[in-house]
Amino acid sequence: MSQINRLSNGGRINRNQPLTFTFNGTTYQGFAGDTLAAALLANGVDIIGRSFKYSRPRGIVAAGAEEPNAVLQIGSREATQIPNVRATQQALYSGLVATSTNGWPSVNNDIMGILGKVGGDMMAPGFYYKTFMYPQSMWMTYEKYIRKAAGLGRAPKENDPDRYDHMNQHCDVLVVGGGAAGLAAALAAGRAGARVILADEQEEFGGQLLDSRESLDGRPAADWVAKAVAELKAMPEVLLLPRATVNGYHDHNFLTIHERRFDHLGEVAPMGEARQRMHRVRAKRVVLATGAHERPLVYGNNDVPGNMLAGAVSTYIRRYGVAPGKQLVLSTTNDFAYRVALDWLEAGLKVVAIADARGNPRGAWVEEARAKGIRLLTGSAVIETRGSKRVSAARIAAIDPVGHKVTSPGEWLECDTVATSGGYSPVVHLASHLGGKPTWREDLLAFVPGEGFQQRVCAGAVNGVFQLGDVLADGFEAGVKAAGEVGFAPVSGEVPSVAARSEDASIALFQVPHEKSTARGPKQFVDLQNDVTSAGIELATREGFESVEHVKRYTALGFGTDQGKLGNINGLAIAARSLGISITQMGTTMFRPNYTPVTFGSVAGRNCGALFDPVRYTALHAWHLAQGAEFEDVGQWKRPWYFPKNGEDLHAAVARECKAVRDSVGLLDASTLGKIDIQGPDAREFLNRVYTNAWTKLDVGKARYGLMCKEDGMVFDDGVTACLADNHFLMTTTTGGAARVMQWLEIYHQTEWPDLKVYFTSVTDHWATMTLSGPNSRKLLAEVTDIDLDRDGFPFMTWKEGLVGGVPARVFRISFTGELSYEINVQADYAMGVLEKIVAAGKAYNLTPYGTETMHVLRAEKGFIIVGQDTDGSVTPDDLNMGWCVGRTKPFSWIGWRGMNREDCVRENRKQLVGLKPVDPNVVLPEGAQLVFDTKQQIPMAMVGHVTSSYYSASLGYSFALAMVKGGLKRMGEKVFAPLADGRFVEAEICSSVFFDPKGEQQNV
Amino acid sequence: MTAINVYQQRPEGGKAESPLFHAGLADAAGKGKATAGIQLRERKLLGHLTIRGDGHDAAFAGAVHKATGLELPGALTLVSSGESSLQWMGPDEWLLVVPGGTEFEAEKKLREALDGQHIQVVNVSGGQTILELTGSKVRELLMKSTSYDVHPKNFPVGKAVGTVFAKSQLVIRHTAEDTWELLIRRSFSDYFWLWLQDASQEYGLAVKA
Repeated sequence: MSQINRLSNGGRINRNQPLTFTFNGTTYQGFAGDTLAAALLANGVDIIGRSFKYSRPRGIVAAGAEEPNAVLQIGSREATQIPNVRATQQALYSGLVATSTNGWPSVNNDIMGILGKVGGDMMAPGFYYKTFMYPQSMWMTYEKYIRKAAGLGRAPKENDPDRYDHMNQHCDVLVVGGGAAGLAAALAAGRAGARVILADEQEEFGGQLLDSRESLDGRPAADWVAKAVAELKAMPEVLLLPRATVNGYHDHNFLTIHERRFDHLGEVAPMGEARQRMHRVRAKRVVLATGAHERPLVYGNNDVPGNMLAGAVSTYIRRYGVAPGKQLVLSTTNDFAYRVALDWLEAGLKVVAIADARGNPRGAWVEEARAKGIRLLTGSAVIETRGSKRVSAARIAAIDPVGHKVTSPGEWLECDTVATSGGYSPVVHLASHLGGKPTWREDLLAFVPGEGFQQRVCAGAVNGVFQLGDVLADGFEAGVKAAGEVGFAPVSGEVPSVAARSEDASIALFQVPHEKSTARGPKQFVDLQNDVTSAGIELATREGFESVEHVKRYTALGFGTDQGKLGNINGLAIAARSLGISITQMGTTMFRPNYTPVTFGSVAGRNCGALFDPVRYTALHAWHLAQGAEFEDVGQWKRPWYFPKNGEDLHAAVARECKAVRDSVGLLDASTLGKIDIQGPDAREFLNRVYTNAWTKLDVGKARYGLMCKEDGMVFDDGVTACLADNHFLMTTTTGGAARVMQWLEIYHQTEWPDLKVYFTSVTDHWATMTLSGPNSRKLLAEVTDIDLDRDGFPFMTWKEGLVGGVPARVFRISFTGELSYEINVQADYAMGVLEKIVAAGKAYNLTPYGTETMHVLRAEKGFIIVGQDTDGSVTPDDLNMGWCVGRTKPFSWIGWRGMNREDCVRENRKQLVGLKPVDPNVVLPEGAQLVFDTKQQIPMAMVGHVTSSYYSASLGYSFALAMVKGGLKRMGEKVFAPLADGRFVEAEICSSVFFDPKGEQQNV
Repeated sequence: MTAINVYQQRPEGGKAESPLFHAGLADAAGKGKATAGIQLRERKLLGHLTIRGDGHDAAFAGAVHKATGLELPGALTLVSSGESSLQWMGPDEWLLVVPGGTEFEAEKKLREALDGQHIQVVNVSGGQTILELTGSKVRELLMKSTSYDVHPKNFPVGKAVGTVFAKSQLVIRHTAEDTWELLIRRSFSDYFWLWLQDASQEYGLAVKA
């Protein structure tokens, strides 16, 4: 059985290049140029899947993005699985492996099909809502089975071998759609000299011109397409994107295009190439030439394989050389669909009859069909079809479309294909993405784009212009207008001539009447993907769902991967008739991006794996790696967390590192702290206003700790700032707060105090900072520096300049550990050389590198806070018992002063920072644990605070914590309890937050 | 000068590691295909000085010109002469790039010429580096990385912008028809280097010494 439906000639396929593929395990052959759908039809594959709810056999209906049934799983192995690929948009390649997403044991013999027919009648709209509502806890269980039964595709379980990326594009005119209107618009804009992008979702440009019966300049329309594309290709400022779906129209003329770059060649892209690319486009003007989707008619058993869109049948015949049957019945409301009968006849096949709902159609193609002897039944329509796995007959009867009645018994005609056309729905999706509601035009029986909130022009069928000559003219005009609006004068060029074709108006017919009531007659499917019938829609309206959005959600009309491209207009027309309102009153549901489903890969682009988020490194990172450091993320920085030796765990390494610092000397890379160089005669005054404490009297050569608050009086950053010269300061900030503080200073300077003469520049990356901390740090530093380290000449909280390891350095004698400490700052390019010299000299002192974890323990032992860990944006300096750091008498009001003096900020019993000492010295309180005073109370207990920092201290010999406790500073010696999730309580005593060396003798030695 | 603490920060000799030292660019140099669409060179260990002042003040522009020999550039542009360049960074901020080791002299000259004006000069040499990109595919590479329009109509030679690049920020400088420079911060250099290698895959990447 080889390509039984392939015509002996015709089509834009390459018959010299056969391609082998498999569908549901069977091997077939198609030709290069086929879509998967065309190849399946060529091979006589009728059943492509089973339906969502009733498990009925379904076949290919359409030839484009609107296809509801042929939604397949593609991929030969686990890693290359792609779900929900529309076979009508997937180019055939050699070795393609496709499977149906439902149907068991096979789509041809589906057990669920029998069950479905029984159970299906019970599954009215709202079935899921009504049945699975309670108990709510079971929803997750139900949902698993519903999904399985629904038969949507599945994501791969292995990593995708392909790359996906993004490309940022800018253009004067983006033309969406490469059919007649789009090509004309692109030519007009391109000739004018504009930067143009032409994107089309199909394998090649031309759209409907590729299967048109009409001629341009007296030659086949496809010839003009080739000429137009060649002209566009020759324009340097025109970018042609075939296989590229414009999926989203976002604010400010920002559009997203998903280009399938290699999907047509195989399931894996060549090395180094992105399989799919998302183009992020900023377009000054957009021409929407998105065309129209044909509307099927809704009649009994219209879902049996062999029921197809009229235009799709023409496309398969003329573009792919495939006739999906032998005996055709056409049911139409318009002239244009007659082309399928003429095409079918020319392919040497039998046209059984045409049913035209109109009384007396007289257009050119109608007359041509009459002249060729095709049986034409006017005032009639296909009422229903029959056949289990393929249409075997259709019943045509006379109808009264206005009265919604069948007016003759009709007759059954044997056939295997029923093509229908109820008119053409402009593809208004993109035009509506930003909320412009489409407008119903009764003269066209179609929704056209409504108000545009964007800089866009619509052209061609989307605009309600359908005759080829008019479409081309509309396209050229749109291109001229769009380019003209952004400053490009039109340049004349060739415009093809089209012979006019007489056409009669179509009539409104959505749901074809049946002798039986909708509920009792054969099923009339509106939304094939979601098994929504006209009876279901009527039921929804009877149950009180009147808004189109409610009807949609109650029936599932327009859900799924096709988003109702085929069925929505019919569905809302049926709802409107059922409610006795007009289609305009009914309106459409909301259109949202994306127009067609996209892969997660193309959304993520290259922002995955190692490139998921920027990682920042210090100049000393390579050394940390060589020491075997484990790293911690601090903001985007990688900071050494601890340096395990001989298989130590975190606990053991931290204990050793802490001991080394307390006993001898440790080394910390502090380069990540934010550093801001501040210069200007008003620098000091500026510091007075942004810090809580006073800076007027800080002498050159000295450094001071400062707290920063937001206007609300809550602490938001801290750090040490040194006076380098009269008008020159170096501010340090927290690692995570560096950028925030820099912006904060600029904002206040630019908006509030522009009169202050001061400038700021970030020098975080310029200086590398190495901290030596511990009793032996002076001795060690003395071996590598020419600075006089005499304790009185270079006291605590001062800085000196000199050579360290032969490199000019600023050395700050400040301490975050409570030990004698020196922070050495050198130009970062030279930091590694300095480090190596320090390390060499440090051997004699057991110099021990330590990480952030040890730093945290050591600072907590001293009660030094970490902003963001011990504070949370609701903590004032007084709450931290840091009132000593508040300049209450500074003459100029400073940021936070008013805020921290609000009534609530000065009340008694606020949560205050205290120390906690667990009664069991070996129990470490969990950070974040809530605290209560009384364990006997009812749940929910009155919570009085929480643990902010908690560690075991090797130097102290017991566990300890910092915590915020209500009125804690007045509760020294009292007990609090941390109720744990397992029901236990950890008892702890409230104490001073300074555990180690409360008098500060160690750092002042 | 006691108002500002200025000193020679660069040692005479000694081991210097540029931000991309660990990437081994020197080893990779010359090993890529001559036809690679992207050619990359690190312009490393140069002198970088941030200058802030009032661009509307003729005295400021004049003094900067006197000290550097370069006209103070206007918004989104840079001027260069030999190895040196001066770039507009913001309404009151410029970046002076000079040959490595001359930044201390350059700062002293600037301070001398600008004496009496309210300005800031900051040595930021250790905190940033410049990647020079040449080749036929640089524009495509930039389009993958930044949402700023790099078409020559919008981004002619002599333009420079600070903008989004991948998931971070940097400065793009268009210095000659097929030559672009990326001014990157030290701590982000590894991320950018990874990104650029990745984004260059389809075009080919060659490192130049």
